Amino acid sequence: MYKKITISDYTRYVIIFIFVILFFFVLKLQVIEGEKYKDIAEKNIVRIQTIFPTRGEIYDRKYRPITLNKPSYNLYITPGKIVDREKVAKFVSSNFEKDISRIEKIIHDNRYRSYQDILLIQNIQFEKMVVASEQLNYFPSLLFKIEKLRDYSFANHFTGHTGRITEEEYKELRGNGYSINSNIGKTGLEKYYENILRGTNGQQVLQVDASGKNLDFFKHNLQKPPQRGADLILTIDNDLQEYVSLIFPKNYKGSIVVMDIKTGGILAYVSKPDFDPNIFTGGISTKRWNDILADPNKPMLDRIIHGTYPPGSVYKPILASLGLEEKVIDPNTKLTNCAGGMWFGNRYFKCWLEKGHGRLAVENAIKYSCDVFFYDLSTQFSLEQLNRYTKQNYISTRTGIDLPGERRGFFPSRKWYIDNYGKFVGILGHKVNLAIGQGEILVTPLQICAYYSALGNDGVWKQPHLLDKRIEVEKTYKNIVGEKQLPISEATLKLIQSSLYKTVNESYGTGTAASIGHIMVYGKTGSAENHMGKKTHSWFSGYAKCDKFEIGFDVFVENGGHGGSISAPIARKLINYYYGIME
Amino acid sequence: MKRFDWTIFGLLVTLMVIGIVSIYTASSTRIADDFLFNNYYLKQFIWIIISMFILFLVIKIPNAVIDVSIFPVYIITTLLLIWVLFLPEIKGSHRWISLGLINFQPSEFAKLFTILTISKFISKPLLSDGQILLRAFTVTLVPIILVMLEPDLGTALTFLVILFSILLVSDLPKFYLILIVSPILSITFSFSIWIFIVYILLLTYLLYRSNLDKVIIGFVIALNTFIFFITPIFWNNLKDYQQNRILTFINPMRDPFGAGYQIIQSKIAIGSGGLLGKGFLMGTQKNMNFLPEHHTDFIFSVIGEEFGFFGCTFILLIYFLFLYKIAKSIRKIKWKEYRFVSVGILAYLTFQIFINIGMNLGIVPTTGIPLPFLSYGGSNLLINVTAIGFILKYLNERSIFA
Repeated sequence: MYKKITISDYTRYVIIFIFVILFFFVLKLQVIEGEKYKDIAEKNIVRIQTIFPTRGEIYDRKYRPITLNKPSYNLYITPGKIVDREKVAKFVSSNFEKDISRIEKIIHDNRYRSYQDILLIQNIQFEKMVVASEQLNYFPSLLFKIEKLRDYSFANHFTGHTGRITEEEYKELRGNGYSINSNIGKTGLEKYYENILRGTNGQQVLQVDASGKNLDFFKHNLQKPPQRGADLILTIDNDLQEYVSLIFPKNYKGSIVVMDIKTGGILAYVSKPDFDPNIFTGGISTKRWNDILADPNKPMLDRIIHGTYPPGSVYKPILASLGLEEKVIDPNTKLTNCAGGMWFGNRYFKCWLEKGHGRLAVENAIKYSCDVFFYDLSTQFSLEQLNRYTKQNYISTRTGIDLPGERRGFFPSRKWYIDNYGKFVGILGHKVNLAIGQGEILVTPLQICAYYSALGNDGVWKQPHLLDKRIEVEKTYKNIVGEKQLPISEATLKLIQSSLYKTVNESYGTGTAASIGHIMVYGKTGSAENHMGKKTHSWFSGYAKCDKFEIGFDVFVENGGHGGSISAPIARKLINYYYGIME
Repeated sequence: MKRFDWTIFGLLVTLMVIGIVSIYTASSTRIADDFLFNNYYLKQFIWIIISMFILFLVIKIPNAVIDVSIFPVYIITTLLLIWVLFLPEIKGSHRWISLGLINFQPSEFAKLFTILTISKFISKPLLSDGQILLRAFTVTLVPIILVMLEPDLGTALTFLVILFSILLVSDLPKFYLILIVSPILSITFSFSIWIFIVYILLLTYLLYRSNLDKVIIGFVIALNTFIFFITPIFWNNLKDYQQNRILTFINPMRDPFGAGYQIIQSKIAIGSGGLLGKGFLMGTQKNMNFLPEHHTDFIFSVIGEEFGFFGCTFILLIYFLFLYKIAKSIRKIKWKEYRFVSVGILAYLTFQIFINIGMNLGIVPTTGIPLPFLSYGGSNLLINVTAIGFILKYLNERSIFA
């Protein structure tokens, strides 16, 4: 009799059918082809290998090298193949003069990475490699690889350096294609532009067994080539950088920044004392590292953006322009008579010139850098007004330069004084002190340089930067930076500019040591008292114009003495040199 | 609990116990003679306890309460599917909602509640064929489109399987199913004219045998021929990467760095297990971490490597008995809506088991579909066990409707 097939029967047939298929393929894989797969499994034949890209190089504005890649012999260890841990560590440390405890630590930290090659030592001398190679067959866990390493052309603070990735960094970044052996930008441009410089990993599928037979799992796309990191073209001029580095007075600390006032591109970036970034590329020894850290002159400190200092008189044009903008004074207003100082309550504030300047209008007050004029002017403003206007001129606030860890500096507020000195703090005394760039105010040399460059650029403040363009594969990408307008009217700007010119070019101006015949030099001196030493910090900042080349500069010498006698002559030299090489 | 189906329940518990053991070994790593263990197996155990609680809750809740809450919950899951699209990507897709300690995929919940909602809507009396089709399609297409946007092609296919299986057991004339399925097949076969001609001839024969009106037959054939001609045009208008994505889905070997690599490693792991396996915790391929996530989607490969052919056969057997028993029992559920639900659940579980094991064996495309009851994963386990709870509930209560 005909039996009706129900839905329930259909589903059961489908289920039977599905499981027969699955069973058949399990049978095929495990029983029929089992031996073949056992073989493949034992030999780890099918693997994906990562191909690391070449890091982008760094050049100056005329495509001269600043940071290149050079070949390096590196020693690796495979923890899973170590026969005798102590013997290996001893062999490595004696052959390559490394701390045995460091070698042992690397081996210990990576003991679970049995099948990975772990980087032990970078940048081994060729001769040492040859000697060690002869004994390598006693140590199957060791192998040499030729890889690329950074080579920095000169001592500086902006390129930064790369270094071996740390365990913490690796944990955070391994999803982004880093390996435990990766080098990664640690400071400076190397860190800031890490993502641009490093490039993109490539991959390669290995499917060839020991006898060289191709297993043919995959027919195509066996290689994804790595993409080289972008090359950075900086705004730095290597010639100027080298020259500026040479003219900085020996045995002094400080910095010199030179920038193109039209673009904000930095032409020279020198902080002294400096250090050679190449010391880090070979894996620095603990002793050397401790020596550098213990050096009282702090050679690692980038004084241009990581050091903050009282600006002294280079701050005065800001207060002058605030006075003019708020119409508290006009170009002809003469303030109180300078007789070498001024009383505020029961405290006498001295002018730097003991015999006094007499009564001055703003232009001459800047030219002679009269303190009393600015003491008096500051009484017309509240502390918050000063604070706000200072920051509107991008002083005591980050410039946003393309380097990591830029410091902000400091400008106190009323609340800060109350928090630190109690409710009855005399704000006036502090304010008067701030008027001449002394007291609690702290700035970075870069902020001062950017401010004076903006004065030279019709009040347009260009963001300071080091990267001019990056070259990726075949395309060039220009680094586009922001610009802002200083809170200053045209009339005020003209007046400030002319007083800066007179400071340098008229007799008895404080900056006459920077005067050069056919070049228009504008500048302001500063001699800032500080707690770091007896002598004042010596500042000279400004800008110079000749033909179409216009540069802003800041020369800062820690405890160098007077701005006019120490920093101004340095500025003169660098301007002379710059226009010499541009012609 | 007189009519409680202890066989289905017993097989379910067996599967979950196997799951715990597999997760325990899959998430361990052997280093020399030491083992490192992740606590996934403990988390899974807690999820099993929670799921069991929900299972009995489902059995105890009165049908009236479930009946009124089905559609609102369906709406909520749909809203969650929309919300998840606005959350940040995790591993390249918007599938997960993270609640601190636990992450869950709203699409898991959507599957179950789509089954319940379709069944409820099309089991109403006196519906015309058109109404049934319209309701079933609307309810399914919303989650399908949202899931495609995540993008999660595997889950989208699961919804299609659910829809098709429920329509198959509904009162809808089978002709409509041919109408639905034939265009999909036409797209698939449109790459070879000869296969397409054979297919069209078969289709014509099938329609002819169904004693249909000649006009309708003519319409279906014309529609399919039209699709045959239009598919290549569509295909050529796709962007390269879109074509690549589809081709890689069909043939993972095109992508040796992603899906293809995983499948090869899974095949090597299973194949090298041989007849007897390498032993509990001793899988070398697993220990070298060739496969990521082997405690979730690729857990079958760990079982295959460590327990070998006998282990795999045992697991296939348990799954088979489990599904077969459910398929056999569905006949006893007389109430239309509940039978639809049960068939939907059965189809969805069968599909997932087939796709996951098939993927591990390298015979079906790679999708992010886990192995029901065995893979690690809270929301997935919870939904699968709850689904079985519904079947057990209906079997339990069948006397009322018989």
